[in-house]
Amino acid sequence: MAAPVSIPSKTWELSLYELHRSPQEAILDSTLVAVSPRSLHSELMCPICLDMLKNTMTTKECLHRFCSECIVTALRSGNKECPTCRKKLVSRRSLRRDANFDALISKIYPSRREYDAHQERVLERLSRLHNKEALSSSIEKGLQEQARSRGQRVKKPTQESDNTTFSGGEENGDAHSHLSHDSAPLPQDPAPLPQEPAPFRGPLPQDSAPLEAGPSSKRPRLSDRGSSPPVAEGGSLPRRLREGSASEIELVFRPHPQLVSCQEYSQTRYVKTTANATVDHLSKYLALRIALEERRSRQVEGEEVQEEGRGGGSSLTNVSEKQYTIYIPTGGQFSTLNGSLTLELVNEKYWKIRKPLELYYAISKDQPSPSHNPPTPVPSPSNNQHT
Amino acid sequence: MSSQNTDPAAAASTAALKGSEAGGSAARGSVTKRLQQELMTLMMSGDKGISAFPESDNLFKWIGTIDGAQETVYEGLRYKLSLEFPSGYPYKAPRVKFVTPCFHPNVDEQGFICLDILKDKWSALYDVRSILLSIQSLLGEPNNDSPLNTAAAELWENQEAFKAHVNSSFQS
Repeated sequence: MAAPVSIPSKTWELSLYELHRSPQEAILDSTLVAVSPRSLHSELMCPICLDMLKNTMTTKECLHRFCSECIVTALRSGNKECPTCRKKLVSRRSLRRDANFDALISKIYPSRREYDAHQERVLERLSRLHNKEALSSSIEKGLQEQARSRGQRVKKPTQESDNTTFSGGEENGDAHSHLSHDSAPLPQDPAPLPQEPAPFRGPLPQDSAPLEAGPSSKRPRLSDRGSSPPVAEGGSLPRRLREGSASEIELVFRPHPQLVSCQEYSQTRYVKTTANATVDHLSKYLALRIALEERRSRQVEGEEVQEEGRGGGSSLTNVSEKQYTIYIPTGGQFSTLNGSLTLELVNEKYWKIRKPLELYYAISKDQPSPSHNPPTPVPSPSNNQHT
Repeated sequence: MSSQNTDPAAAASTAALKGSEAGGSAARGSVTKRLQQELMTLMMSGDKGISAFPESDNLFKWIGTIDGAQETVYEGLRYKLSLEFPSGYPYKAPRVKFVTPCFHPNVDEQGFICLDILKDKWSALYDVRSILLSIQSLLGEPNNDSPLNTAAAELWENQEAFKAHVNSSFQS
């Protein structure tokens, strides 16, 4: 039995507090001592229910405090000893009411009910937050996963070229086509394109590239945008737009200078929306916006205007994307935009400037102007006091 | 000393007793509140080497983990435990057992643990945290006088062999 095993002996060591504690001097002057709520909480807490002491009972010998209900239940259902230190507690007579402590608590927390309600809210928030935490952590994981795979795709080209970011393999195909098809509409100087084919394609000789490149490389660049908007931007677009292309687009929205008279809703609007919203979406948004504004201005300006503007076509349910036509300025002219185009596409196709997209709007030609619509009865708020 | 800390019949009768005493739902409410408090404390404290969380929406059944303490034969191994709280909690001890098989003098093949604080030495002041810490220290300091697993108690003398056996038989 001479096994060289040192089984650690059980020693009941004094805590740091117990080693260092010394009698505290009584404070006799008006000195204030700040106590953190947290440390206070542990003093005022019943160690059984972990809640604030209620009808405090103190053990007569060892001076440990519990809620009356908690300690009575504990003694009835368990050993006849102090739950804190195991000192023998023969019966309820080993306990005494601690009215001073109850008074202290009610001084600190005048409204017990308020405290309880607060506690409940905290716990409720915790469990709710906890569920959210679980959810958001899983979302975060997903995002990290995505970022990692995206990082792998982007990494190599950025190392090789300057600060222009490339994504996807397609523009590498395009790069080859630019190098070999001089007739292809080069958007810009091809200098920032990668010197070498993408690593996963292997170091192909340059003249074999056109065969290797994907179908889109043979068509003019503009035409294949629709099929794969996030890739193949080359150096032609401002970096900001490419990065934001998946998410948001900013645009300036003005009335058509020739078709709209200054008096009518002549307001420049700044819109930020998702890049995959269509021109129709924008148009409908505008119709809704204008209808709302008309209604509001009528309500503000009172009855007279209300009578006039009543036929505002402002019944919000009538709002349609057909009411307004959206134009884009192209070389001094205004071209009508097809409603099904996404704003991202419009931006790439017509705008191409490092400036927020600018669009113009006017009431559609085949659409009667909203103010000439048959009057829609709008329930008028009774503001007779005004007159 | 009884061989297991679980006595379903006793637990059930206490639950019934408690229920008839204080009105079932009220008692359950206070137990829930205490368990929520414990969960909050556990989450805040971030103890190394132990963890516990309700198994599902049922706050009365938790899953805990214990990492074998350093410089013990269980170092580097993580054990899963289940904790079931009776409606008389914290006046009655939770039923705690190993889910991960554990070769230990005071743990039987079903994972039941022989630990005094889970039985006659239970106090309402113990909580999930102190239970898990106690079991963690029990792993390194078994009570070989009243073994549940006699083979483990005998092998304990030879720490090398014990460690080899623990590692070879470990299945998480």
